[in-house]
Amino acid sequence: MTNSPIGSTLNRVDGPDKVTGAARYAGDESPTGLVHGHLVLATIGNGTIRSMDTGAARDHTGVLEIYTPDNPLPLHGVPPGVAFYFSETRRPLSDHEVRYHGQIVGLVIAETPEQARDAAALITVDYERRPANASFRDNVDDAVVPEPTPLPMGLPITILADGVPSIDAALAASPVTVTATYTHPARHHNALEPHAAVATWDGDRLTIHSTTQAPAAHAIELAQAFAVPADHVHVVNPHVGGGFGGKAFTWGPTYLAAAAARRLGRPVKVVPTREQLHTTTGHRSAAHQTVTLGSSADGTLNAIRHLSVTQAIGEDPGTRLTMKAYATENLHVSLRVTTGLNVPTTTILRAPGEETGSFAIECAMDELAIELGLDPIELRTRNHLTHTLSPDPATRLPYSNKHLIECYRLGARRFGWDTRNPAPRSTLATGGWLVGTGMAGAVLNASRAFTAVRVSFRPDGTAAVATSTADLGTGMRTVLAIMGTDSLGIPVDRIRPLIGDSRLPVGPDAVYGAQGSAATATVAPVVRDAAADAVEELINHAVTEPRSPLHGRDGVRYTAGDLTDGATTIGFGDLLTTTGGTDVGATTTSGPVTPPSYAFASHAAHFCEVRVHRLTGEIRVSRMTTVVDAGTIVNEKTARNQIVGGVVWGIGPALFESAHVEPDTGRIANANFADYLVPVNADVPDVDVVFLDHPDTNFSPLGARGLGELGTVGSAAAVANAVHHATGIRVRDLPITPEKLLTTPTGQA
Amino acid sequence: MRPFTYASASTVEEALAGAGADSAYLAGGTTLVDLMKLEVMSPAAVLNIDTLPLRDIRHDHTGLHVGALARMSDVAAHRLVTARYPVISQALLHSASPQLRNMASIGGNVLQRTRCGYFRDPATACNKRTPGSGCAAITGYNRAHAVLGTSESCVATHPSDLAVALVALDASVLLRDRAGERAVRLADFYLLPGDTPHLENRLRPGELLAGVTVPPLSWARRSTYVKVRDRRPYEFALTSVAAAVDLRGDTIADVRLAAGGVGTKPWRLPAVEDALRSRPLRADTVKAAVTHAADDATPLSHNGFKPELLRRTIVRALLTLAGRP
Repeated sequence: MTNSPIGSTLNRVDGPDKVTGAARYAGDESPTGLVHGHLVLATIGNGTIRSMDTGAARDHTGVLEIYTPDNPLPLHGVPPGVAFYFSETRRPLSDHEVRYHGQIVGLVIAETPEQARDAAALITVDYERRPANASFRDNVDDAVVPEPTPLPMGLPITILADGVPSIDAALAASPVTVTATYTHPARHHNALEPHAAVATWDGDRLTIHSTTQAPAAHAIELAQAFAVPADHVHVVNPHVGGGFGGKAFTWGPTYLAAAAARRLGRPVKVVPTREQLHTTTGHRSAAHQTVTLGSSADGTLNAIRHLSVTQAIGEDPGTRLTMKAYATENLHVSLRVTTGLNVPTTTILRAPGEETGSFAIECAMDELAIELGLDPIELRTRNHLTHTLSPDPATRLPYSNKHLIECYRLGARRFGWDTRNPAPRSTLATGGWLVGTGMAGAVLNASRAFTAVRVSFRPDGTAAVATSTADLGTGMRTVLAIMGTDSLGIPVDRIRPLIGDSRLPVGPDAVYGAQGSAATATVAPVVRDAAADAVEELINHAVTEPRSPLHGRDGVRYTAGDLTDGATTIGFGDLLTTTGGTDVGATTTSGPVTPPSYAFASHAAHFCEVRVHRLTGEIRVSRMTTVVDAGTIVNEKTARNQIVGGVVWGIGPALFESAHVEPDTGRIANANFADYLVPVNADVPDVDVVFLDHPDTNFSPLGARGLGELGTVGSAAAVANAVHHATGIRVRDLPITPEKLLTTPTGQA
Repeated sequence: MRPFTYASASTVEEALAGAGADSAYLAGGTTLVDLMKLEVMSPAAVLNIDTLPLRDIRHDHTGLHVGALARMSDVAAHRLVTARYPVISQALLHSASPQLRNMASIGGNVLQRTRCGYFRDPATACNKRTPGSGCAAITGYNRAHAVLGTSESCVATHPSDLAVALVALDASVLLRDRAGERAVRLADFYLLPGDTPHLENRLRPGELLAGVTVPPLSWARRSTYVKVRDRRPYEFALTSVAAAVDLRGDTIADVRLAAGGVGTKPWRLPAVEDALRSRPLRADTVKAAVTHAADDATPLSHNGFKPELLRRTIVRALLTLAGRP
């Protein structure tokens, strides 16, 4: 019997393929007859296309067709649903209006990508220009309450203790209050792999190699756009080079690739450039949040008011984060959204709402701790949330297996928090670097969906574990290999994980993919169920197949790859070779217990040390410790990778990341990797990650809650709190760049 | 990218003979290829000079001589450079990334084009790229742009770190054409934009930058390059300062200072140098000396911090040389 590898540090099973280049991504596919598309984007922020001169491009060598609003490609509209709220509802080329700089206004198809790109550069567009309204900040005051949707976002929530008339009254009655406004710029996913699509039609059947987080949902969205049955669309995406929410839904370039392929009767590949990705595949909304905390003198929170403004309900800090953060008798969260901005479409991005919300709340808690003269950990511990917050006390559920306080304490010990001098600007290190430390808590809702997994035995002695999810670099293949080994008792190298294909098993709602930090939590428990069913099928096969040496026997059982009745033992590979069985197994669907008697969330505590140069204000993160409470850890190596990646995704917005949107044009001035700064290796210290080991068996028998986005929640606040401790300067407008630190706390240069 | 012809030269003479009115020399390719892909530059002919014998790094009584095709990485690591001109080594190591430094040449570095995002986007107005089209940077996003030496036509910075160090050290570039070779002080080689920002330097059509000469400066052993930026590596300077000090006891006998990230060309700071000579190298004297370092600055909407950051960067560079940053 092979020992279960759950919790081990197994290397990625697809690691060698990735480092040798053997892994094939969507853009690597080049079917026979392939032609290439290059997008043409609008160079104004608002207006109407009067005409487009495509003559020179048409005459360019190799050009086959040019699609524009005058020669559009047919696409059916987006039906109401999650994609309707989180992606672009207007189809590309469907009218002559330009709503934002970088909107798709054309697609050039040519025999080679170079020809398509060169020809695209020859197209000129005559616009009737209108002033663009592209400044988020200028529109904050005019933001409106969003239209109600079927989604649990965007809705105001008010909770008041008995006899308290309003949140304002609760705050007014609080002995201590802090209030502050925190702002985030718009940001971009910038997955390393661009949104590549290679589409081939056979009659009304589409095969598309396309980078997506959710192959089955992608197939449905494409089927809707082309009005064909969903099973006529076959999505193939064995590897995905990063998603972060940007590949959760289907975007214009992919629709156009498929539409052009259908029209031309040839396979079409479209791979947007890095610059084009910034405007055609969604981005994270800017955010403007005002938080007021009211507490007693001893630090017990009495009231929290969190007023947010974003560009769309996909970024809702209050309901996504604040509702799950701290205990309070009185709470009000609300969201308003801007309207009519001439900027590209927003969508979800890693920890949507939680990331922005955690920055506001965790910085505000730091500010309150300073106001009260309390240690930030002590303040958080005093306001530990044990039950969900809800306007109806009867619906409050206890949090299952929550160990956030242990995260604080263990992290504090590892980090050396207790020796910290709490006074800001108190430590100066060699070279003129001010040293500061900060911390923050993190909470991420733990969800689990219904999904289907097929486990099957093969004559070559391997077992397939198949489900229609994706590996974005998250380690899903390795998770399936581990769970297969755990369930079947055979070595990892005999498990064949199969993912990244819309035709593999999916759950009843058929949309489940790698998103919401729930892929492992969803899929892993089902592998066990499917494996048990598959073993039952295998035993049935062994006793009913006439050629089986176990035919007709009683008491046949399965152990570690062998079947035996005590007298005769045969490995399943030999059995299937003998019987001619090819793929004996079971497809099993399972999911969470409903209605739940607990609330589920993963938690973490981040500790950060920064160095800020006393003269020139550069900020360097020098240490990070993150302690994670996410239940069972299926593979410590890939889990650590997720948390470290999440922490990097906190350092990014804290110090570097920002779309520089020109207010008058809506053009993103830094839509490239030289100017859109993300942390590079030298900006990230060796992150100390520790996992608590408290399996949450209320959540699933396996006990593994999700953690993919958890590292991103709160980590930017830990950095900002450390910067404040180092300098005495509180920067509430991200990113924190050197020029914001060229003063002393008194404002003197 | 527009179609172009491609040829390789194996001698300097061949390169000079092969250069035409609409041709571009190709060395490491780290700027030219980029700009051709963006259609910012579209030469009709590309002439590869990368294998020409211009890679020597040597030192004699007339100074340090670096061939134009020496790699940035080789110069940065060369013992002559690290020992005698640490400011050059540091400026190079603070530039680009290891991969780029392994490819990029010294000549190409000195001649690199600005990183202004409007210059690099043909859909926007840029007088440097398309004379007379206007300057989108002045009203656009201009945090990284220049505050010194700007004009109403152009506010783009010169991006080279190396050039800042070389200007501080009074280096010259050697320019060769079919008529012969001439040396031009680097500080004079670069042109201010005025109303002709497309003219960036004194290189004549077809002329080849063959090398760089740094005159002897024994006290350049006490020199440093401080580069301020958001990200630790791989970003152009918000501000940078190349500094060398001739320290006699506590007193500054002589000093060289030049700044990057603030000017439309590498910016020598003679007034600050004058204010420092014969003064003690101390925080108070240094702070007093930098007061007027950026008096001529014309800040734009997003880079108003640059004069103050420049003053602080100078202070930091000098205090670093004093061992008290």
